[in-house]
Amino acid sequence: MCATAAAGAEAESGISRVAVIGAGLMGSGIAAHLANAGAEVLLLDIVPADLPEGASRSLLAEGALAKLLKSDPAAFMHRRNARRVTPGNIEDHLDRLAEVDWVIEAVVERLDVKHEIYARIDAARKPGCIVSSNTSTIPLTQLLEGASDDFARDFMITHFFNPPRYMRLLELVTGDRTDPAKAEAVRAFADVRLGKGVVPANDTPGFIANRIGGFWLQCSMVEAIDAGLSIEVADAVLGRPMGAPKTGVFALLDLVGLDTVRYVGRSLMDGLPPDDAFRAVHREPELVTRLIDTGYVGRKGKGGFYRLNTEGGRRVKEAIDLATGEYHPAARPRLDSVAAAKRGGLRALVESPDAGGVYAWRVLSRTLSYAASLVPTIAPDVTAVDEAMRLGYNWKKGPFELIDDLGAAWFAERLEADGQSVPPLLAAAAADGAAVGATGGGVTTGGASSAADAAETAANATGGGGATVVGGTFYRTVDGVLEYRTVDGSFAPVERRPGVLLLADVKRRGERVAGNSSASLWDIGDGVLCLEFHGFANAFDDGTLKMVGTAIETVLMEGFKGLVLYNDGDNYSVGANIGLGLFAANISLWPPIQELVEGGQQAYRFLKYAPFPVVAAPAGMALGGGCESLLHSDAIQAHAESYIGLPEAGLGLLPAWGGSKEMLLRHTRNPNRVNGPMPPIAGAFETISMAKISRSAEEARELLFLGEGDRVTMNRDRLLADAKATVLELVEGYAPPEEPTFNVPGASAKSALEIFVNEFVNSGRATEYDGVVSGHIATVLSGGDTDLTEEISEERMLELEREGFLALIREPRTLARVEHMLETGKPLRN
Amino acid sequence: MEGVVIAGFVRSPMTPANKGELARVRPDEVARQVVRGLVDRTGVDVDDVEDLLLGCSSPEAEQGLNLARMVGFLADLPISMAAVTINRFCGSSMQAIHTAAGAVQLNAGECFICGGVESMTRVPIWGFNPMPHPGLHRSYSEAYTSMGITAENVARRYGVGRDEQEAFAVASHRKAAAAQEAGRFADEIVPIVDGDRQISVDGCIRADTNLEALAALRPVFLEGGSVTAGTSSPLTDGASAVLVCSERYARERGLDMQARIRSVAVSGCSPEIMGMGPVASTNKALQRAGLTIEDMDVIELNEAFASQAIAVIKELGIDEAKLNLDGGAVALGHPLGASGARITGKAASLLKRDGGRYALATMCIGGGQGIATVLEAI
Repeated sequence: MCATAAAGAEAESGISRVAVIGAGLMGSGIAAHLANAGAEVLLLDIVPADLPEGASRSLLAEGALAKLLKSDPAAFMHRRNARRVTPGNIEDHLDRLAEVDWVIEAVVERLDVKHEIYARIDAARKPGCIVSSNTSTIPLTQLLEGASDDFARDFMITHFFNPPRYMRLLELVTGDRTDPAKAEAVRAFADVRLGKGVVPANDTPGFIANRIGGFWLQCSMVEAIDAGLSIEVADAVLGRPMGAPKTGVFALLDLVGLDTVRYVGRSLMDGLPPDDAFRAVHREPELVTRLIDTGYVGRKGKGGFYRLNTEGGRRVKEAIDLATGEYHPAARPRLDSVAAAKRGGLRALVESPDAGGVYAWRVLSRTLSYAASLVPTIAPDVTAVDEAMRLGYNWKKGPFELIDDLGAAWFAERLEADGQSVPPLLAAAAADGAAVGATGGGVTTGGASSAADAAETAANATGGGGATVVGGTFYRTVDGVLEYRTVDGSFAPVERRPGVLLLADVKRRGERVAGNSSASLWDIGDGVLCLEFHGFANAFDDGTLKMVGTAIETVLMEGFKGLVLYNDGDNYSVGANIGLGLFAANISLWPPIQELVEGGQQAYRFLKYAPFPVVAAPAGMALGGGCESLLHSDAIQAHAESYIGLPEAGLGLLPAWGGSKEMLLRHTRNPNRVNGPMPPIAGAFETISMAKISRSAEEARELLFLGEGDRVTMNRDRLLADAKATVLELVEGYAPPEEPTFNVPGASAKSALEIFVNEFVNSGRATEYDGVVSGHIATVLSGGDTDLTEEISEERMLELEREGFLALIREPRTLARVEHMLETGKPLRN
Repeated sequence: MEGVVIAGFVRSPMTPANKGELARVRPDEVARQVVRGLVDRTGVDVDDVEDLLLGCSSPEAEQGLNLARMVGFLADLPISMAAVTINRFCGSSMQAIHTAAGAVQLNAGECFICGGVESMTRVPIWGFNPMPHPGLHRSYSEAYTSMGITAENVARRYGVGRDEQEAFAVASHRKAAAAQEAGRFADEIVPIVDGDRQISVDGCIRADTNLEALAALRPVFLEGGSVTAGTSSPLTDGASAVLVCSERYARERGLDMQARIRSVAVSGCSPEIMGMGPVASTNKALQRAGLTIEDMDVIELNEAFASQAIAVIKELGIDEAKLNLDGGAVALGHPLGASGARITGKAASLLKRDGGRYALATMCIGGGQGIATVLEAI
């Protein structure tokens, strides 16, 4: 962490030391993520009653810490972050609460236990120390029963989602007595430091995400059983087609744990009003009871609705038959409704006459109208609900965005036809068509406030002045500003916090500066241009490279100050489009391949030596050519969840868009490196030949993909603004880097690397062909036929990269690797 | 000719590289404390010491410059005492003893401190800048054979099976654990002080290892091979030192003589089977002493790998009842530069402790060499 914004937030929030009480799954995960954010964390649990003799009294917290280090996906962004977590117990270490700024309670969901621990926290904490509960089921009013005004002022609910590092939602529930300044401190810290999307929720059972998500899961489960559908069909319909994760519903139930689902369901039943629609869908099917009783509680148990059968040495994914309870190899259903959804969207899905379409309608109609019935009961407005479902359940769109996709009027009509009630909020939207039309030009309607739909929205925004719409919507764009329907029926702009800049908003505001099918240029204000990669997985092709050239020209010709490389996608870029290369190689069409290699080298050289600052802002995967674009930028502003690497060797290739050269340079300039000619070469060689990929920005720093001046942003929504700020910081007195020269030992370095590679091949840790590929990488990094006394130029290094790449792509075993990757998505070891 | 005796042997505890207790201690610092320990325990008058000879197989970085001279300064030895760093890879510190013995007989001094050190944590085995000769690598790549592969080569060529290696490794750990349990290392170990820590226990010995555990390990050097981490000496940090002087000087000063150096030898062999190095060097040394392997009562054979140790035992006809009585390098560890003086000092002290007339200390050396020392009781 070295983002200046983060330091600012700390000053604002006054939070630097935090205690977490309760070292269970959630408590320990929260502690780990606080450590990721740079906080010092005290993790306390009870002293077990049956403590074995001689065992540590902090056994539970210490055990939790050990488990965190082994968790997969990793709870820590870097193993060393574990050092920021101090385990302890509430008998011996409660006095240390006096040192912390925030206590998070994550103990068992029992009111008496919580009340007891609050009393002890209150006695030990320093005055003004914030206290919050991670409860998912107990209302704040009950938590505060009998609490002093002092305690109530400092108290709130902070509801994290599992796993806390990866799930972006934090529901924040405050009470009448909560000090707004304290709530703001937590909000700011959670937003900037923890990277969370903080959604204000009302003090109602299940808050927002679990209220609606719990309904959705229950409804999906019982409807599938009642309709006699297979779980594979249910998941195929409710996964991608409705914009939920591809796990769909039953695989998600397995992931959450059937026992947890039972618990959430029962606690919702305890707290919800008597007429709540949840009561109609809540029941525990006999099959589920049997699964839980036999230990089939999901992935953490022996299996659940799905299980992995490893009998006979093969891993076969099996699905349960909802009627018989027997497992069978999971089918891959092909459904007309799913195909229709691909073409015609959500409405086509629910209008399909097949079983999938009928099921989708049964589940979605109830879930979406349930959501519409709950605003403003559970949340101040529809944006909070949509954001909670996007960030807490990984839906691509929230319920109200989905209703906009269906058309509110159409949806309301169909509900009525179906004999279902129409909630007033939906009825108002449905009846509101005329008002929208009347606002005239520059208005577009519909959902698409989510990043994924940005491109579509942009097209709408630029294409259709004065659209007429039948029926109203929950979102609309007016003069480039996204607005949402408030509960009183008027529209208000969707506010972004200071320091939040979304490319989707930029796109609503104005036309793109230039673009083609692979990349676009956007004016993101203050004289900064943004180069956005798009297309399938943001893979690079010659269109991308062309747009790099256009970006540089545009900055220079149109008076921009600098350039940001950024996109709103899940992944910055997975690298060059290898499919095109394979196609050319298969018909021995070498010139276009050579052109693509040279074109990439040239484009990245231009980026590097452009007379203005270039800042790359990756999030998600930045691999291969994507990684190389980072390496040629003046600075990297990386999202904390950045997975950066050069996986070319796995495909039988080597980084040839300047990546090998830049990695050598990074290792040469590493201030912590050991002296002599070999350490930088050996370091770069290890990273490239072993195709190492970081599992966080922190790990990327350790692998030297990130350097000293590069920074990390925790909140995805703040990445673009931070990158832009970095460009503006660099503008004054900017001078492009000087061209480096390389002093490398040539053949003797190559011999050394070969000897080490032979050890890997001999021991079976690498294949013989890995050895061949590594040999080419070794040639590049050792400078070819140079000598230690000679200085070689950057251009010569690039030439070596080209030679190596073009030699490798002619190798049948390389082509087999590329082909295999394209077909299966997995590397081939040949 | 002037008799040359060993009149003192000490060593540091030996701990696993990277994870052991010595990992955080500089090698020159470990060497300082061991040399200082030798001086204190023998009571030798440092003004009489001609030269400090330290073996080290990767003399760079913290082991760089003229390491021995730096250790001399660190250990408060007289400025007038000379110092030399010697590199014969694994044979470095036994070479230090040979060099000193030769000097005594040349009348080039009468008292020497000989030892060695290696931090395999802090200086990697190939050093930080491995730069082999490309021409030699092409024409005779055997010259650069990795040690693990030489162990596999020996196992294959001399028919040493995996079971045999594992039984040998278990025996080595058993002997070392028994010696540790009985406190038989107390006399030789100089505790190393690092801040407020005192490191005094060997860290590599696994008293509870067994055939089953070893059988579960995968070969580390060669796919389908027979050599595992369990049958190789571990990467180790440590230092050792012995006092070498003329017999006349030792008697005059009343030093505690442990053994007399009877003969020495070095030899070369093919680098790809470097583990067989002890065969030729031992035969030469025995011949020079006019003795046979049967005459030996105590034998310290450095266990770089179980496979090479077994093959050497078979080739030389060594009686295993006399071998590595307190355990060998597979169990104790093998800090390269320190091992030669350790096994020579150990052989001398065992002669004195257990009785017997002759002792042999011998070891293999990376690159294809052997080195051997024959000792006799005083």
